[in-house]
Amino acid sequence: MNKLNQLLDAFGSALLLTGRAFASLPSAPRILKRVIEQAFLGGYSSLGIVTILSFFIGAVLALQAGLTLKDFGAKQLIGTLVGESLVRELGPVMVAILLAGRVGSAITAELASMKVYQEVDALVTMNIPPERFLVLPRLLAVLLYMPMLTMIGVIIGWFGGAVVCKFVEIIAVEPAQYFQSLTQFLTTEKVLDGLIKAEIFGFVIILIACNTGLRTTGGPREIGHAVTRSVVFSLISILVLDYFITKALA
Amino acid sequence: MNQNQMTARVGLFFIIGLALIWVTFEALHNGRFSTKEGYTVTAAFSSLKELKAGNDVRMAGVQIGTVERTRLVDGRAEAVLRIRSDVQIAADATATIAMAGLLGSNYVSLDLGHPANGTVSPGGSLRTKDVADLNQIIGDLGNLGQEIKSTLGQISGSMSSDTGGGLFQKLDRLVTENSAKISTTVANLEAVTNQIRSGEGTLGKLIYDQAAYDQLLATVNEIKGAATEARTFINETQSLIAQVKSGQGTLGTLFYDEATADNLRVTVRNLREVSDKLNDANSTFGQLITNDNLIKDVQGTLRKVDRAMDGLGDQGPITAVGAAASALF
Repeated sequence: MNKLNQLLDAFGSALLLTGRAFASLPSAPRILKRVIEQAFLGGYSSLGIVTILSFFIGAVLALQAGLTLKDFGAKQLIGTLVGESLVRELGPVMVAILLAGRVGSAITAELASMKVYQEVDALVTMNIPPERFLVLPRLLAVLLYMPMLTMIGVIIGWFGGAVVCKFVEIIAVEPAQYFQSLTQFLTTEKVLDGLIKAEIFGFVIILIACNTGLRTTGGPREIGHAVTRSVVFSLISILVLDYFITKALA
Repeated sequence: MNQNQMTARVGLFFIIGLALIWVTFEALHNGRFSTKEGYTVTAAFSSLKELKAGNDVRMAGVQIGTVERTRLVDGRAEAVLRIRSDVQIAADATATIAMAGLLGSNYVSLDLGHPANGTVSPGGSLRTKDVADLNQIIGDLGNLGQEIKSTLGQISGSMSSDTGGGLFQKLDRLVTENSAKISTTVANLEAVTNQIRSGEGTLGKLIYDQAAYDQLLATVNEIKGAATEARTFINETQSLIAQVKSGQGTLGTLFYDEATADNLRVTVRNLREVSDKLNDANSTFGQLITNDNLIKDVQGTLRKVDRAMDGLGDQGPITAVGAAASALF
């Protein structure tokens, strides 16, 4: 019962946090510099790991699909399978998991430290709402960079699949055929579905990270616990939300 | 890293991201960011099947545009096609919905038509033809399968009925009941074939005996000769008939000469008159034939002559003549 109360409490405070943050949206131009900074930390800095991860996810997907589909004489459908899987599911989810692990944890640690060391209290004392100063830039930034990051990841994943198709002898599908089958069934609606999904994931991850950080109480030990809670809750939220978003968009 | 560097990198990141999103949408044909080039035409079908926005429009296999959108107009499914501006569609070109593959999506297929007879203007509508789709064909195949199944069921039922009337059961019973006879027949057949193989009997000799073969050959040759002669005979007969028909020779004259026919007719008439007279009891010949008294008189006269001849036995020939003359006259 206590856990349920905590969960509902966290959920309610997250909603309040969102409301307060977006209530200060008119002051967004003033925090543009902070938005750019967060976009750099969250988007640009994640580019390397997203590239590596997406390339190999695409490659592995093409390899597995190729090994299975060649038994059915349907190798020409590898492109379709890799394309759709990446853009609708794996791309957004993998980027979101990366974001939760790399950016979400950092945000929680930073905000939890600020909270524990009473920096947040200092902001409030100076009449600077922490929602506007700390949360809104991060939320705006994630809404801006998440589709870009996902799209870059997806396209690199597609190229990873193409490389496998070209250079793995047992698959041996020409990249032209791979991309032809990839674009044959793919529609902009599916790509948009993936980007919308990524946008929701990104927003939820950063919201959970900020909320968990700002709700941290106690000493330095709590910072570590807060980071763990933030990442675990983010991952669970991603997978649960994934199901419902997919169902809603289908 | 100073603020400017950071901003530049974030800017680069956003530019790359936006460019990739734009390229992806462009590559997927019906990108919402794509410029509306070319012109639109409409094609109405009774069903668009799996056709959807973004599918190709191909003329003779060459991609000339895409399906822009689909809609229902006046109870017909209508596809709005965006055609490249450098492509002209002949007014008599026919649009059909074709399948890109068994698992593939559909596309609108146009034939070339005759552009000399005019072209479809922008906003115009195309001639269309509905073709059977895979579902319909599979449905028909299913019906066919049902029919084959029922037919096979009937055949199977007639062959193996549970009531004992099946064809196989009857055959089985027939074979079982007559196995002894069949064995005997087979044994006989075997014996006969053995005999034939060893050249015994008529058939055996016919097949294996060289002399019989030679005789048969000679017979055949004789039959051939006879046939040749028969042919010659028929030819001669035919020429004879031809001669007769042409009125040559005695028979020809008889059959085809009018004068001879007239003569014959007169002769026959005369003959008939003679025979009539013969039959007439009053005529001389009639009397001769029908009158019994005359024969009696003749017999009597002959008897008298006989007697006179007997009386003349001892007299000379002159006396005999004299006596005969006196007896007669």
